[in-house]
Parts: sequence; C-alpha cells; structure tokens
Amino acid sequence: MPPLSLVAPASVEAAIAELRSGPPGEVAVLAGGTDLLFDLDSGRGAPKKVVSLRRLPWRTIDWNGPILTVGSTLPLRSLERDPDLASRHPGLFQAIRAVGSVQLRHRATLGGNLGRAAPASDLVPILLALDADVDLVGPLGERRLSVDRFVLGSRQTALGPAELVRSVRFPEPRPSTYLWQRVRPANDISQVAVAAAYSPSDRGWRIAVGGVPPRAVRVPEAESELRSPDPSDDEVRAASERAMRRLSIATDRRASEEYRRHLVGTLLGRAVRAVRNGAGGSPP
Amino acid sequence: MSSSIRPDSRPKLEGSAVYGVDLEVPGMLWAALVPSPVAHGRVRSVDLAPARALEGVVAVGAADLERLLPGAHVDPDRPVFPSGTVVYRNQPVAAVAAPTLERARAAARAVRVEVDPLPAVADLEEVFPEWPGPCADGSPHLAAHVRARDGDIESVFRAAGTVVRETYRTSSVHQVAIEPHACLAEVTDGRWRVRTSTQTPFGTREDVASLLGVPEESVVVEGTWVGGGFGGKGAALLEPYALLLAKASGRPVKLALRYREEFLLGRTTLPSVIRMETAVTNGRIVGRRVRLLLDVGASLPGRDFATGYSIGFLLGPYRTPAFEVEGYAVRTNKPPFGPHRAPFAPQCAFVLESHLDHVAREVGVDPIAFRADHLWKEGDVTPLGQRVGPFGLPSAFEAARAVAARWRAEAGPDSGVGVAVGFWSTGTGAGGEARVRLSATGLAVVQGEREIGSGSVLAGLASVAARSSGLPRERVAVTYEDTAHAPFDSGVFGSRTTAALGRAVEEAVLALLKDLAKRLGSTGPVRLGVDAGEVVVEHGTARRPVRELMTEAERSGGGVVASGRHYGKAGTIDEGKVEAGTFYPYHDFTGTAHVAAVAVDRETGTVRVVRYAAFQDVGTVIDRPTASAQVEGGVVMGLGTALTEEALWSADGRLLNPGLLDYRIPTLGEVPPIDVTFVEGFAGSGPFGAKGLGEPPMIPVAAAVALAVREATGAHVTELPLSAERVARALKML
Amino acid sequence: MTDGPASVTVNGRPLPLGDVPASERLLDTVRWRLGLKGTKEGCRSGDCGACTVLADGVSVLSCLTLTHEMEGRALTTVEGLADDPMGRAVREAFERAGAVQCGYCTPGFVVALVGLLRERGTSASASELLDDLGGNLCRCTGYLAIRRAVALLPKEVP
Repeated sequence: MPPLSLVAPASVEAAIAELRSGPPGEVAVLAGGTDLLFDLDSGRGAPKKVVSLRRLPWRTIDWNGPILTVGSTLPLRSLERDPDLASRHPGLFQAIRAVGSVQLRHRATLGGNLGRAAPASDLVPILLALDADVDLVGPLGERRLSVDRFVLGSRQTALGPAELVRSVRFPEPRPSTYLWQRVRPANDISQVAVAAAYSPSDRGWRIAVGGVPPRAVRVPEAESELRSPDPSDDEVRAASERAMRRLSIATDRRASEEYRRHLVGTLLGRAVRAVRNGAGGSPP
Repeated sequence: MSSSIRPDSRPKLEGSAVYGVDLEVPGMLWAALVPSPVAHGRVRSVDLAPARALEGVVAVGAADLERLLPGAHVDPDRPVFPSGTVVYRNQPVAAVAAPTLERARAAARAVRVEVDPLPAVADLEEVFPEWPGPCADGSPHLAAHVRARDGDIESVFRAAGTVVRETYRTSSVHQVAIEPHACLAEVTDGRWRVRTSTQTPFGTREDVASLLGVPEESVVVEGTWVGGGFGGKGAALLEPYALLLAKASGRPVKLALRYREEFLLGRTTLPSVIRMETAVTNGRIVGRRVRLLLDVGASLPGRDFATGYSIGFLLGPYRTPAFEVEGYAVRTNKPPFGPHRAPFAPQCAFVLESHLDHVAREVGVDPIAFRADHLWKEGDVTPLGQRVGPFGLPSAFEAARAVAARWRAEAGPDSGVGVAVGFWSTGTGAGGEARVRLSATGLAVVQGEREIGSGSVLAGLASVAARSSGLPRERVAVTYEDTAHAPFDSGVFGSRTTAALGRAVEEAVLALLKDLAKRLGSTGPVRLGVDAGEVVVEHGTARRPVRELMTEAERSGGGVVASGRHYGKAGTIDEGKVEAGTFYPYHDFTGTAHVAAVAVDRETGTVRVVRYAAFQDVGTVIDRPTASAQVEGGVVMGLGTALTEEALWSADGRLLNPGLLDYRIPTLGEVPPIDVTFVEGFAGSGPFGAKGLGEPPMIPVAAAVALAVREATGAHVTELPLSAERVARALKML
Repeated sequence: MTDGPASVTVNGRPLPLGDVPASERLLDTVRWRLGLKGTKEGCRSGDCGACTVLADGVSVLSCLTLTHEMEGRALTTVEGLADDPMGRAVREAFERAGAVQCGYCTPGFVVALVGLLRERGTSASASELLDDLGGNLCRCTGYLAIRRAVALLPKEVP
C-alpha cells in the first residue's frame, strides 16, 4: 500500500471537516476496516487520507420500546451477542451470523457494510425486509433515508459529500428469517439470499432478495401474493414464481443465471414458510 | 505399540516454531519477482534500470545470468529467466531485492517489461476440440503422448453385448497449504546456501544445481519447519531467484510469496477431459478403452510424468481382458502441472468409479457386486502386465460393503450411500539413507528430512527405530541435518517416508544391533532396553550397559554409529503392450475403500456428507495416532476436491479466483464424523510390512460422494467438483 | 493528530506508534517490528484466521487491521498466552488430542479459542465454540482432532 495519512477525529464535526479536506477519491472512511483494507490490497482505490471513525461515540445499541437503533461503528459481533437480538429480530441475527467469521465480525460494522453496498452483502436484504432507516450526518445536517433509498447500486450509495452513516434504525421487531445459498456454509459470500419478514403493524409481508446485481431488492410483486400472516402454500408458490419472473439476474463465476433464478424461487418459498410456521419468531 | 505426544506440538502451540516465512537475519534484503503481464508472448525487453534507480535495489534478469554464473552448464530448455518466450501469466522474468519488502515490491513494479503478445490458450478443449488424431504427434501443443493396448479393442467392442461410452471433466485444484512458499538464500565461501520450506531438501538441491548449472556439492539446502506441502513444496520454486539475488548483492536474500502468488504461480493439478468406453457381455467386462486429455500447463515436452502415470489409475484396480489407453498431455498457457496429494488419482478414481457404477446400472447388474467381481487381488496381473503384490483392497472393500449396507438401511429420503475404492503405489522415490547414533541414554536417528506435518518423520521414524531396537519411544529422538551433513533421502512425498526412509532407519538399527552383538560376543540377535536410566544391550538373560561396550571416543560424545539404506525397486510392466510414451510400474499396491453417506437438498442441489468411513490397507500400523490423523486429513482434503474446490481460468490464461475466499477449502463445520479402520496383514516393503499412508486416503473420496449422490437422487454428475449447481442441473431442476 | 504520544500495548509491553507508518498492518508490526513470529501470515485477505490476535481480549484478523487503529488497546499474541491459564488449557487439550500437525494454523486456533472462552465464558459448550471457529482454516488435520481438543477443554478454566 502506498503511504497514507490516517486521522482519527474525536468528534463528528471534526470527522466531517476531514472528509471535506480533499476530493472524494482521495479520502476514504475507515470503520472496521475489513472491507477497506481488502479493497486496497486488491488495488481498488488509493486514498491519500483515511479518516478513521474509531473515536466517534457510535458503538451503541439502544432499545427504545419497539425501536432498535444501532450505532454505525458498532462491531457486528456485539450486535450479534446482544441478548435480545435473536428473539426480536431473528432474521437480522441469522444475517449477521452469515457475515464472514467471528474474527471478522469483531471489526466489521453495519455502517461499513452499508457504505460499501456490495451486491452480495448479507445485511442489505434483511435491512430492506425490516424497513430499516439510516440516519446520516453531514455538512448540511442530519437526514434519514430508508435503506432502500440509501443503497443505489453496486458500491453506490446516496451518501452526499462528507456525509456519514451515524446509525441504523429498526422500527419494530418482526418475525423474520434470512436464508442463503453459498458454496460452503461458513466464511463465504452468498450466491443468492432471501430475507422474509412479516410486519405486525401493517400486516404485510416484506420480501427482499440479495445476490442479484446491482443491489438487493424488495419484491413487492411477490409480497402482494401473500394475503395474510398465514399464506397458503399456493400463495407462497405464486410469490416465488412472480419473484423469479420479475427479477433481473446475471451469471457470474459463482453461479449461472438459471441457477440463481431457481434459487430465488426455492429460498423465497422456504423463507416465507419458515416465518409463517413460527420458525422466524424465535432464535434459530 | 505405545506412542508419545509429538515433540513438535509444544513449540508449534507456543508460536516458537520457525517456518520459511519467519526467517530473518541481520542485513538481509527482501526480494520480489517481476511477473510476465501476459500468458504468452515474445519478450522484447526487460528494463531493470528503473528498479536499480531506487536506493539499495539489486535486480537480476536474463542478461545477468552469464555474469553471475560463469562457466555454468545451464539447461537451455529451462532458463531461470525466459529470454525468448513467456508461456504463462506471471512467469518470473526478473527478480529484485531491496532493504525493505515495500521497496522491493515497488522496484518490481518499476521494471519495464515489454512482451509482444502471442495468442494464449488456456482451455484444453480449445486446443483439441476433437480427440487428437495421429497427426497431433508433432504438435507444439503436445507435451507427451502415451498409448498402450492389449487385444483388438474394436472387434471386442463389436462383439460385445453392450458398450457404454461416457465423457467426464475434472477441474484444477490447488494444494492450499496454509503456509506460503518462502526461503532465505546466501552465497558464501563458494557455496549456494538456502534455508527453505521444502518437502525435499535433496530434491531441491538437485533442482537448484541443475537450474543454476552448478555442481550439486556447491549447493546446501537446509529445511525449516514446513506448514504443509501436499506435493506443492516438492521441487525448487523460489530458491534459484533468491540465490541469484544473493550472489548479485553479496547479502542474504529473503523471498516469500504472498498468498495470492501461491495460486498464481503454483504448480498443481490442472483440468482434464476423459473418455471412458466399456464393453460388457453377460455382466463381465470384456474390453475397455480410455482416452485422457490432460492439461499440463506450460510443461516442457518430454518432461511430463503425469499422463503415463495417471492413466494407470483409470484402468486399475480392475481386471480387464482387452484394453486400449491413450493419453495426451496438452500444453496450455498456465503454470506447469505439478504434483498434488496423490497427483490426479482422486480425479481418476472419481471417473473410474462413477463410470463403472454407471455401466453396471446400464446393464442391470448390482453396481457394487459388479466392481467386486473385477477387483484385483494378490497374484492378479494388471492390464500393463505387472503382478499385483500383497493387496488389502478386497478385504477393505468387503468391510466397506458391510458398513454401506447398514448405513443404507438407516438412510432417510434424499439420502444415499456410496462405496468407492482406489489404489496407490507407495514406498516410491529413488531411495533413502539414515544413520543412528546410540549414546548411553538414548538413540538418535540422524536423517535429512524435516517434519512437514503428518508426523511421519518425527513420530513414524522414531516408532520404527524404537520397534526395531526394543527401546521405548521416549528414548528415541529424530534429528535433522542439512544436505551437507545428512545422508541422502529422496524426500517426503509419494507416501514413502515410513515405507522407504523407514526401511533405511530399520536397516541402520539392525546394523547397530549386529555391531553390538559382536562386541558382546554373542552369536544371536540382541535387543536394547533401559535399566536405571541407561541403555542396556540384552541377549537372552544377559544384559550389559552399552557404555561398557563403547570405545573411549564413543563414550565421550560420538556414540555408537551405524547406517542403513533402502533403495526400493518397483516391479516391471510388459513393455510389449506399450506403443508410445512411458508407463510406470508400481511399488507397493496400497488399497483404500471408502463409504460416504450424503443428504442432498433436492431443491438446491446442495450435498452434505453426514457420515464417512475409510478402510485403509496399511500393511502394518507403525504409529496409530499419526496414521489415523493422516486418514482423517486426507478424507477432508478429498471432500474439498469432491464438492467445492475449483480453480477457474479465463480464456487468456488468467486465474480468476486466486484467493481463499473464492477458492474454497473445507471449513470446520462441514466435516462429518469419519470412522477409520486399518486393514493389516497384506505386507508392503516398509518396516514390519508397512505401506505408505500419506496419499491413499485422498483418492476415493470424490468417487464415494458422487456415488452416494447418485444413489440419493439419481443424479449422475460427470464433472468435478459436485457443486450444488451441477447437481441441480443433473437433476434437471433448471 | 492526537493528545499525547499514541501507543498500543502488545503482550503487556507498550509500543509507541510514532515510527509506525499509518499504512502498516498489525500483522506486519507484530511479526517484523516486534519479532513476534508466532502470529502467522496466511492468506493475508481475512479468510484463513492464521493471523488471529486478541485486541482487548477479542479475536481480530491482524492482516486486515491497521496498527494505528489499535491505539490505546491491549493486544495479545500467541506468545502472550504462555502463562495464561486459558492458553495453557487450550494447548494441553490440543496436545492430548493430537491436533497439531504442520502447526501453521495452530497459533490462530489457540488465540481464537482463548478469545471465545473469554467472550462466551468457560461454560460454553463445545458445539458453541466450534460454531464460532469457521474462520480458522486447517488443511492437515481435517479438523476432527481439533474438534476433539475443544471437547477436552475443562468446563472450569480459570
């Protein structure tokens, strides 16, 4: 790696000022660093300055009534080990467990994962299915965006210049599940993944599919086939079929387009049935 | 046979074991290789000046070789740096060294390499879309051609009841030792000295001498601890570059690969296409034809062993009255084919077992009985005319069958059980020698191999010495010396350490005992024992402390020394059956029979191995924990070949997945319980009848899993690895 | 950049960060600046776990960590577990189970396990511990001896 300057501002204002100190390609943000360092080693990007967020007070978990707010620089493992997570957000627990390894999750963060917006991210699908919002802070103040609006495409987010993800907000606990298909069960990237959740407040389903470039997506056409918290097998099948037809899917070296499409249908059906049958309401 | 905790466990657990990558001496330079940017091209120029302009940088390229190696007899076919054509991507065209690794890597990037690209070929089937005909013999794409036959296969096929024809494809797999290659070189006192992580100190010495064109005696190789070899550390790789830089700079030079480079430069198993044709009449095989197209990467013509050797594993271990085999070693623009664990045999067993299983089903015969009916036993003659020696495979197969029947009865829906066999030739290599040195308190085995992990050196050789002498294991230590001091040994590969080097150790102990018997004045055999902390020589009821039998010199430090050697001989094949190329006879016929129970997810094609049993023909178990560990490790490595490992190449010779994220080896959670059973009594040529064990457990794994998948779902997959997508396609899910 | 001299503690000894370039990896600092070679360089991409060290008692991949990011933290490498009772218990279990072959992955496993025992508590079941070891690759043992070693860990490690 070429030499660089590493700064660790102690306040949000200082962090924003650092981010404004150079053109976007020359300044990078460091949360857990597991993605950034991997990218730098692969020759992807050569920032002159890296702004570390380690001093910011964002390693927090806050349960406030139904709302869960997670600070963006909290290590994923800390969220995983929260005593209430698996029971209130089982799908989120499963998704976090799917990310890398324990060692990786002691450093990797929600904010970092969202900021990178990798198409195969194991977190974006469940965040979509849980209607999560990101709270952003930047030179123009604070704003809130849904994850759906935040993640624009492969490695593209709606972050403005010098803007940071401060926290991620989950509005309510939902029976949910996260299922994936990969080459090997541990320490791998998912070929296709499905997050399914049922919202008790609006009595509607959420289905999000990951591993389909350019970004994970909700599938409202599939959701609309599920008419109750207890959809019939026929409804589930219809939802799978609509998702399979609707999604644009690509072939890559991990899996072909036909196989991915087939997996979407299979995993969607399983995920919905798991939540329907109560498996998504308690820890796996 | 008691066994102790290995002496290397503790330093490795504490982090004090020094591997090649850990080597460091004051004043050393760090080296980096300059890679070819294309997979095939004519070298126009390699300009080292920009690198040499950086402070403290030393650089060597093709133009420097004459100056650095005056009067050297270098093999023109194997230049250290290509001055004509580059034949694989990242082929080193120069090497640099600098006071820091960062500067060395910057210097390597600064070198201006100009190569005029030539068309690169990476796909075997692009070179030969059809099977090569007779005119292919002069083709520059052919590294070797082998052909053998017995009988007129065409008329046999015409007369047969059924002929079943299939084509299989296997993928490229890497050894993936967790430790990358590394060495530290220094040229002093006219000697080319290198400390390196290697399976073959003497083999490396020979390679280095040949590549640099210097006398072998001027090269000294000292092995470090090795973090896994699996065939990938069995030949010189980095040492010549480090030594040239050491010569050029007058300083010690450290060269280590980053893991990505392990994949990019590694010599390993490459893809193949295999055509199998089997004729059956009344449930018996009457003739077989096998055609192998093996990708050997940038291997040089005439230096390929893989094809002639491997093709035997597509024939045996089965009797065949008439056969025709033909193999083509095809050159592509990838690094040269190199040995993996049981090189290419797991792929052959997958193809052979899957095919015979399929043939049996096609003709309506029970697939297991079909194979049992044709299986070699001792005294049979192989298709190439070699007599099968003591062979535990029939026993192992029967035991496997019984377990499979039990598991089958317990199998649920979408579950299946597969039985597969394989065989290997163990105890190979040119030969080995060892010395023993007896002091008043214990025995040292002095030899020239480092422990590469299996325990065959530190535990196996110690067990052989203990058992042959009568001493308890705790009184035996295995010591290592470099190539300037140790007796010669071929290397730790080919499942030969216990069987061949072990024999040399046994011979040394026997020579020692004979010497002691003479000193004791006894005409019969003596044994060693321990009494009041001292070694005693025992004959009948007589026992004397060995100290009393020593000379003054021996007593004051030299000890009683004896040496032994073992240069094994393979059998012979019937050269009359060979029409082209070289085929190889086998040493000890070593069988292995495995049972895999799988559960298949019918909707995604995901295969999960839920139970596994391995029956291993070992001759004699020398050290049980070491032996069991080898089987467990070999099976799990085989599971990687079976299910997840695949190196993917682009059409222009670029490796697409040079990393451990996208090249997937098994993780801890994927491993089934594995029952290990040893079949003893079918003696090999090793000490106490031992056969080699390092490689056989790897061989039938992919085959057993494939057959289990077929039984579970009917899916007949003819490609490796058995990815979920391939299974899904075979099940017509897509 | 900071208030006062920045440093990191490794096995109880402070290392001032003034001379450490910002781009330096913790793996390289530990191995080459401090001479602690027990932590191994494997894949260098976060996939094999051979480079595992503890940062304030939790396991991290030193190959994907900038040394400066560990400012103010207490780091422990395999050498630092020499007198640690949990380290001792793990080493003894590995020895008895024959779980060390080439040994290259071994320090990573030892450190990762000690980290898990500290995190989950010593009453953690063998299967809970094994579920969390997916980030450590081994190519020699086939993992079965490592599984047996974990099962041998005493329930009350001090």
